[in-house]
Amino acid sequence: MDRNPKPTSILESLGEEIIRIVAPVSICMLLVVLLVTVLDANSSSDSSSLTTIATIAYNEDTSDSIWDKLKGALLNSLVFVAVVTVVTFVLVLLFYLRCTRFLKLYMGFSAFVVLGFMGGEIALFLIRDFSFPIDCITFLLVLFNFTVVGVMAVFMSKMAILVTQGYLVVIAILVAYWFTLLPEWTTWVLLVAMALYDLAAVLLPGGPLRLLVELAMSRDEDIPALVYEARPVTNHDSSPRPVMVERRVWKERMSLASGMGVSSTSGSNSDFNTNSVFDSNSMSATLSSATNGQNETRLVITGDHLLSEGASQLSAPLISRPLQRTNSTRVGQEEVSTENFHLEGIGLGSSGAIKLGLGDFIFYSVLVGRAAMYDFMTVYACYLAIIAGLGITLMLLAFHQKALPALPVSVLLGVLFYFLTRFLLEVFVVQCSLHLLMF
Amino acid sequence: MERARSAQDEAEGRHFGESAGLIMRPSNNPAPLWPTIDGPLGLSEEESLSYARSFFKFGFCLLPWLWAVNCFYFWPVLRHSSSFRGIRRYVVGSAIGFIVFTVLLSSWALTFAIGGERLFGPIWGDLVMYNVADKLGLTSWN
Repeated sequence: MDRNPKPTSILESLGEEIIRIVAPVSICMLLVVLLVTVLDANSSSDSSSLTTIATIAYNEDTSDSIWDKLKGALLNSLVFVAVVTVVTFVLVLLFYLRCTRFLKLYMGFSAFVVLGFMGGEIALFLIRDFSFPIDCITFLLVLFNFTVVGVMAVFMSKMAILVTQGYLVVIAILVAYWFTLLPEWTTWVLLVAMALYDLAAVLLPGGPLRLLVELAMSRDEDIPALVYEARPVTNHDSSPRPVMVERRVWKERMSLASGMGVSSTSGSNSDFNTNSVFDSNSMSATLSSATNGQNETRLVITGDHLLSEGASQLSAPLISRPLQRTNSTRVGQEEVSTENFHLEGIGLGSSGAIKLGLGDFIFYSVLVGRAAMYDFMTVYACYLAIIAGLGITLMLLAFHQKALPALPVSVLLGVLFYFLTRFLLEVFVVQCSLHLLMF
Repeated sequence: MERARSAQDEAEGRHFGESAGLIMRPSNNPAPLWPTIDGPLGLSEEESLSYARSFFKFGFCLLPWLWAVNCFYFWPVLRHSSSFRGIRRYVVGSAIGFIVFTVLLSSWALTFAIGGERLFGPIWGDLVMYNVADKLGLTSWN
């Protein structure tokens, strides 16, 4: 049988890569929706119990008027975005002063806190709700195992791909669930504010994420951040001898910020530059570096990470690399996220994996989780809107070949669809059902 | 991930380590080329030895899950008993350790769950996790 002389068509490889990034995003959203619906009974009672940076200015009360709630939500979001900006700039400064060890440690610490404390809390909620008869020794042992291996998986670059991907998705789920506990108006205004912040931080000349990306690119380094990297699609026309595929997927760093970056790995032996992973804390940057001539184009998407502890910064620049075979430019995106999460943009690599910053995962899941708190109809609508937004972002990435934010299109579409569904579609569907016309 | 493999195999009679990390040479005794489950994306053989060893040693700090991840990561080493002698010792040790630990832990957990108050008496209420959580106020942040 003849071997197909053509390289894999762009549709096949691109489609497979897109699936490999849409699947974990969908799993993350699904699990957040499940968690929200299962644990919903507790959270609906007292919405003002969570004091975080996101609610520091105003704590929503159900008895306030609409105008008060709106003002409070705006105030909260402004404070949050301001904190995220400051932390991002601090991250840029630290990166500029080459304090990478500190950033890595902070990332590891963030992952530990998220997995250990927040994961433990959510596990306790579940145990309490289902009256699961587990004793404390077993529980502590299991939690300890889970946390330590998770920190190792995020820290080390050479752990099994599936394990690392799984743990990043788990971190995103935990942080997203935590964010859904915020009051309702604050959540929606915060999502829109973060989408706009992401847009500004990546595209404006003075934006922190753009500075970070340019800094990383000029130094040819990776940004410490939490980035989800999809498994690269291997070429069929690779060299006959087994070649080690370099994966510069992510940097072990974990900071609270989770960012999503999409980076592609280049399959060449010489440089490996694909995306860098970001630390959870403040920055998530995805760098996609182009390998010399051997790699095909790469798009890097980075996302932002959210920090669990304090303010979270989310910035998600998407970095797209032009699809060129011979181009060996490096695109890096870095987003600095404050405390917990980094948003990362999306990057696509022609040779391999797409990287998506963990912050993008988180904010998408927050949107869908908050939609789940209303009804499942809004969940379906928001899910479709987010996936459509992700597809649009990837296409824009392919065309523009520069860092692009991953959040704005999806989040704005998602919010739009949520309100349209809630106020227009639901009435229509309910009336049709009541009159036995449809469904 | 695996899709390219079969196509390539037929075409060339050779497998390149792709997703599954198993490359079978077309000879009588198949032997994997890459020790990790990630294939060419994973570790080389030298690095694998140090990783397998450190995972094995760290697993003794009450980390059976690390042993399980070790076995998963070096699955080709487990499956093919005639290859990677150095790595194989640690991976088999991890597998045995994981199985032993899991048997012990699950027997304790099942005894606790199924036995319940009847078996343990009032101390069951002190040990079960949801009571401990309530007592220490661990879930009060919601």
